[in-house]
Amino acid sequence: MNVMTLPRLIDLEDKTFDPFVVEKLATGDAEDPYPLIHELQAKGSVHKGGYRELFTDLPDTLHALNQYMVFNYDTLLRVLTDAETFGNRDAFMHTLGRSFGRTVSVMDAPEHTRFRKIFQQAFLPQTVAKWGASVVDPVVTDLMSGFIGRGEADLVEEFTHHYPFQVIYRQLQLDREQAPIFHKLAIAQILTSLDLPQGFEAAAKLGVFFQALLDQRRAEPGDDLISHLATVEADGERLPDEVLISFLRQLMNAGGDTTYRGTSALLTGLLMNPDQLEAVRADRSLVPQAIDEALRWEGPVLTTIRYVRREVELDGVLLPEGAILNMILGSANRDPTKFKDPDRFDIFRDRTVRHLGFASGPHVCIGQHLARVEMTRAVNALLDRLPNLRLDPSKPPPKLLGHKLRVPDHIYVKFDA
Amino acid sequence: MKRWMCMNCGWTYDETLGDPAGGIAPGTPWEQIPDTWKCPDCGSPKSEFDMVEI
Repeated sequence: MNVMTLPRLIDLEDKTFDPFVVEKLATGDAEDPYPLIHELQAKGSVHKGGYRELFTDLPDTLHALNQYMVFNYDTLLRVLTDAETFGNRDAFMHTLGRSFGRTVSVMDAPEHTRFRKIFQQAFLPQTVAKWGASVVDPVVTDLMSGFIGRGEADLVEEFTHHYPFQVIYRQLQLDREQAPIFHKLAIAQILTSLDLPQGFEAAAKLGVFFQALLDQRRAEPGDDLISHLATVEADGERLPDEVLISFLRQLMNAGGDTTYRGTSALLTGLLMNPDQLEAVRADRSLVPQAIDEALRWEGPVLTTIRYVRREVELDGVLLPEGAILNMILGSANRDPTKFKDPDRFDIFRDRTVRHLGFASGPHVCIGQHLARVEMTRAVNALLDRLPNLRLDPSKPPPKLLGHKLRVPDHIYVKFDA
Repeated sequence: MKRWMCMNCGWTYDETLGDPAGGIAPGTPWEQIPDTWKCPDCGSPKSEFDMVEI
């Protein structure tokens, strides 16, 4: 246990600013972007223009750049795995780089290769598996105690919107009082992509906090994630503070927000298909394929971006050096040439073709193994402890919303208390 | 259980499954996989894999 005082977080100066509302505006409220995606996909893999502009007039920091969209599975896979031609740095410097700083998402090889390997040490399957019982289970049990005796719940408001973030708080050993400010600053910092001053203010305040946290854990290391990252080495090299702090800034969004959305999509898919829910309840060996199907069907992150490093032809379209590619992962995952009846949630579908829910290539999701542990623990706990879990027929069914990041506002359920 | 794992992304090679999409048939022992084969998740070369306990 660390005895040094944990650094205090400082709230945004403008207390009336609500980053959650603004973030909702930024991620959009599109009910179903897939008909338009299918329409464009059928016309060709590569289209001129920005993906975001298909759904909203709200400008972002990519708005003025030369943008293209990529829709088909094979083309996306080619781009994601060819980092020599399609880079990250000069694309993400306009988005994540503004929010988080010098994070691995904003790096290309050889710098990326070096740092990625060190970070991955902390997120290898055998490492994160240990956090299942020690970190994830206590969070899940604590949250479920709030509704387990009631016979009904909103699984978004009372469960999925909290548990991955609380897993991170436990890793940081953040006290309950500080958690709401932390969550607020973490969401506010991504609003640098809209050029809002509160985004830069939040990123700066989190940077001060994380530097103090690192100093504290280095002085008195524990068995938590921060202590591990502060001291982890690969090939004799440690992480510089600037890179480490940037990574920690990204953790809430990359590790919390995505798991919240992914778990919500998984529960939506299962609850909307009671036969599949029953199959998983009866046979928990089906949980991994249910998770993969949720990540394919409604992966939490529909798009990522890449930068064209040299003029290149892609599926008959000449891409100039410097162009930004909107990589529509959600489109690849519903490519009908790869997935039969792609709009259907089906945990029993053929899994020969790998989904791109975690992307692919050198920048494949670094936290995917932790996400799987969290989602597995969460769905098993819900099925174990909420008998006869079903959608509440008196309330609206869950509806996933958003064109870029997808999640339902509510999942109203009933169960035998 | 010991498996070969990619140190850059954590993907593990399961001999019984192989990597059919990558041209490796189910049942192929690790030693018989060519050095030109790449991790199907992140594209790292075979040399980036280590034997680990999972």
